[in-house]
Amino acid sequence: MMRLAAAVLVAILVGFPVSVMPGPPVTWLAAVALVMAGAGVALLSVTLVTVGASLALIAYTIALVIVQPAVDPVAAIGIAVTLVILLALVHFADRVHGAALGPGVIATQVRQWMAIVAAGALAAATLTMVAALLGAALATATLPMVVAAAALGALLTVAGVIALTTREDPPRVS
Amino acid sequence: MSWRPTALNVSFLTLAGWALFLGLLTGRADLVVIAIPLIVALAAGRRTAAPSPVQIHHAVSAERVLEDERLTVTVTIRAEGAAPLVELLEPLPPRVELERGSHHAFFSLRAGEEVGWEFVLRCGSRQRLRLGGPHVRLWGPLGLAAGEARFRAPQTVAVYPHLTSLRHPPRPVRTQTYVGNHVSPAQGEGIEPGDIRPFAPGDHVRHVNWRATLRHGALHVTQHHHERNADVVLLLDTLSDVGPPGASVVDAAVRGAADLAAAYLARKDRVGLIEYGGQLRWVKPGSGRAQFQRLLDTLLDASVVFTYVTRDLDLVPPRILPPQALVLALSPLLDARFVRAASDLTARGFDLVVIAVSPAPAARAAVRPSPVADLAARLWDLERRAELDAHRRRGLSIVPWDGVGPLDAALASLSRPRLRRTLAR
Repeated sequence: MMRLAAAVLVAILVGFPVSVMPGPPVTWLAAVALVMAGAGVALLSVTLVTVGASLALIAYTIALVIVQPAVDPVAAIGIAVTLVILLALVHFADRVHGAALGPGVIATQVRQWMAIVAAGALAAATLTMVAALLGAALATATLPMVVAAAALGALLTVAGVIALTTREDPPRVS
Repeated sequence: MSWRPTALNVSFLTLAGWALFLGLLTGRADLVVIAIPLIVALAAGRRTAAPSPVQIHHAVSAERVLEDERLTVTVTIRAEGAAPLVELLEPLPPRVELERGSHHAFFSLRAGEEVGWEFVLRCGSRQRLRLGGPHVRLWGPLGLAAGEARFRAPQTVAVYPHLTSLRHPPRPVRTQTYVGNHVSPAQGEGIEPGDIRPFAPGDHVRHVNWRATLRHGALHVTQHHHERNADVVLLLDTLSDVGPPGASVVDAAVRGAADLAAAYLARKDRVGLIEYGGQLRWVKPGSGRAQFQRLLDTLLDASVVFTYVTRDLDLVPPRILPPQALVLALSPLLDARFVRAASDLTARGFDLVVIAVSPAPAARAAVRPSPVADLAARLWDLERRAELDAHRRRGLSIVPWDGVGPLDAALASLSRPRLRRTLAR
């Protein structure tokens, strides 16, 4: 059941770049992404799913660069939500494979995932709106400056996340 | 217990990094937007508060079971705070199979909630089963952080060999002084009639043999034999072993020894045990249920211990190996030291019966079936028959047993001298 849900998410993920540009070379790369992610779902391997998702992301980028459509934040948030749920689902399915599940385990997990995904989507929507408002103010700024500022911001964000995830809490013996 | 990041963080960071990199490379805002929920998930998945303590109670249904019996393990978990995902894993010891349920489980607990978890194990072969308690792992949201601990509740379960009743255990040639089930050559109180002799003052009237009295014209009485017990010493060969754990020759010999001990103790005999191997261990002959428990506990630990030192049975004190005892040796007769020891006991006048446990079935269980293995097994069988015949010619009383079939059937072929006739000579 969890494999089926993950397979549906893989199909949705691969469908995004194909919907932007339904033709070569995007379809080829999307097919490779589908195979890799599909194998990851079948084997419950997060690594393979990550590789497949990365390929799907590259295919989406190529499609955007070739077709040059208008910016679509809704589709972007959709891709991000799919990625988050797909990774969490495959990881969870791998952990619980062959184990007994107590009552309410899956419901609790789904609730948690939905809360985090909703927070992420809300943050993305808010930042998109803020960026749209700031667009007018930054119209006079040169592109390299904006890119440098964005890169620095991204770097600080990633560094902050790594610092958060690697910090050890004081031990608490149960 | 403390939270630690899991490998899933790398996947999230990889995809967020790809989205940001491609966004900056192409100047497309869509790709930067994709990275935002991934980064939010990374931040949200990280747990900052310490995991809520979890209390675990671990219990087993029995401390002593027989082979192939079921053992129920019950684990009760109680969380003081909310624990959205608790993972429990009880490592299974070797030669134990999961009969029902799972030894790996996930639970979602609310604050103060208590959940019970139960699974059934089948204990395959004799051993001291050590259950150390489950590993506990608390998972954070999305599986991005986990806290681990080991709940230590060491519990030992004794898995004794499965017992089969024996109807024809070898009859001892010599008896002891205590009341038992064996007919003694000594005359006295008993139910087994013996010789007839003329009446003497002091004889009971109920012993008068009226038929002999009428025939001889004078009072005659029937004498009776005592029913006495015997000393039986089980000599277990642990110098060599063949076969996979749980189905080896020593395991078969241990099962046979347990069956013999149960049979003789039920006949009120005194039973002792000598483990003749790398370490020489023994149990003094005794009777009763406590003695049976002692023997089973000693048999449970019987195994091959490698040593360069060869010990002799001369080291065994006479109270452990009484001269009048029936010695039942269980051995594959693969080690020349044991054959020497058995021959030495026979030469010293001990009443010795060797139950030769065949190593072929145990060896066959350890190798893949093939025509070559079949041929090798047949050749080995022929070779063993020749060896056993040679031992018989040297005076050893040998009963071949394949270690798989019933021991009773193998012992039925053993012809033993009747007790009275032996001593009458």
